[in-house]
Amino acid sequence: MSGLSDLRLGYIPLTDCAPLVAAQALGFFEEEGLNVTLEREASWATIRDKVAAGVLDGAHMLAPMALAATAAGEGEILAPLALNQNGSAVTVSKTLSEAIFAVDPQALSQTPVTAAALAKVVAARRENGQGPLTFAVVFPYSMHNYMLRYWLAQGGVDPDHDVRLVVIPPPRMVERMRAGEVDGFCVGAPWNAVAEAEDVGRVLVAASQFWPGGPDKVLGVTADLASHRPDELRACLRAVMRGAAWADEPENRETLIELLARPDRVGAAPTAIARALNGEIVFHRDAAGLPRREHGLWFLSQMTRWGQVDAALDLQALVDRVYRPDLYRDAALSLGPILEPALAFADAAGPAQARLFDGRAFDPQAVRAYAAGFAISRALV
Amino acid sequence: MRVLVIDPDTARAALVAQGLEGVQPLEVRRSAVYDEAEVLAFAPDVVVIAAESPDRDTLDSLRDSSAGHPVVMFVDRSEPGLAEQAVRAGVAAYVVDGLAPGRVRSILDVAMSRFALTQQLRGDLAKAKADLESRKTVERAKGLLMKERGLDEDGAYRLLRKLAMDRGKPIGAVAADLLAFAGVLKGDGQ
Repeated sequence: MSGLSDLRLGYIPLTDCAPLVAAQALGFFEEEGLNVTLEREASWATIRDKVAAGVLDGAHMLAPMALAATAAGEGEILAPLALNQNGSAVTVSKTLSEAIFAVDPQALSQTPVTAAALAKVVAARRENGQGPLTFAVVFPYSMHNYMLRYWLAQGGVDPDHDVRLVVIPPPRMVERMRAGEVDGFCVGAPWNAVAEAEDVGRVLVAASQFWPGGPDKVLGVTADLASHRPDELRACLRAVMRGAAWADEPENRETLIELLARPDRVGAAPTAIARALNGEIVFHRDAAGLPRREHGLWFLSQMTRWGQVDAALDLQALVDRVYRPDLYRDAALSLGPILEPALAFADAAGPAQARLFDGRAFDPQAVRAYAAGFAISRALV
Repeated sequence: MRVLVIDPDTARAALVAQGLEGVQPLEVRRSAVYDEAEVLAFAPDVVVIAAESPDRDTLDSLRDSSAGHPVVMFVDRSEPGLAEQAVRAGVAAYVVDGLAPGRVRSILDVAMSRFALTQQLRGDLAKAKADLESRKTVERAKGLLMKERGLDEDGAYRLLRKLAMDRGKPIGAVAADLLAFAGVLKGDGQ
């Protein structure tokens, strides 16, 4: 007997699983009294099912997935910690980027690139009787889906009518693009960098340009862990926060890249992994780990906008149930002496209102009005 | 019965075929990965997939659409409790590896009938929503006629019904047209 408590955590091979991988490799879990088994999973659906059924105690998870699974009654999943800010990007195939350049040579030098020129390509294809372009995301309930849809719609491309949207697992994105089956995708790191490095695609918009400091993955845990084993959850959160703080430090970058590049972790080229770690993904600083309820409400605004949630759903109640900044704060305060000053987080540190690349302000008090206020929206009002 | 087994390994497809022996007509096809064109062409009645396949997310994303299929997942025996708990939670149809061929048929049958039931509920819900929308539209069109034509409620409804019968369109559609034209006359959409 080790005297340590056993915990099973799942992850998907993506750069933003770094806080978990670092906490494991550096012995932070053990120092916090936990014997953690890190299990690499092949799909988000399996992550959801295993956490919902309590087969995993927690996992690296798409933030909207915790909301969707809980709303659907598939399980009660809490988000007591955000794993990262930024990291995703919209990438298009070389052929499509050339077509965009052909209709508007200035389009690709904007910051950020908008979908306005893509809308012209889409219109021209329709006139020529060509089929719709195919775009891929990793899961219906994901930042990637909402980021791609938001970006397309802002440029006048209706994601439901003007293009075909499909779901493809992250590690298969690049090969599908190379095969010409996918014209564009929104996926997490490192796969956008891999597409560019292999000369298959071109990155148009990074998440940090789409929404500076915007949310991405969370650590999703079973409600059972929080209610029956609160000390273990706190220990787990502390270890992952320490992993996240460690992963942010530039002097640890090389070691982190080595850890992630291993075939049993992310299994991608170190140079591709390095790219999103350089000035894009934030794990811990600027209170990146705080699971902000306004982020949850923004996800629900997009779920409302695209017709994914029932009009009768109490959005605020769902977010309050799933997003648990109180658990984060509790664990973070107990860590204070170890992490100071990196832990100088404040709830008010972020801007009061999220502002995306198009300058439209999000009011967390008026989620449905925001969702219905877009020119392209499926929200029923 | 058409069964698609998505699995790089051939053993499970063989087990499924063995378990379904005697079912006529029967076609069990195996594919290493999910291939959209192949799935569309084959139009399986049920899809069996290894739980460790990354293609699960693609199938899961079709769950709420008309393009979905009943899906049964094989899970490794080293995952204690997943099959039982996931099924109890209603999350998905999981079966444990090492399953006796004799049980394959009943598991696929349950998955298919559960899927049919969910599809029907989804259809009912969509219809209920559409009915509600249509009723709201009719109410608003009635209000407009009462205001613009000085009719009482009953008169407004009779006029809408007559318009619907004259044009051979559902009353909800006529009401929607009326509201749309009223909007244009007021200057919306400019």
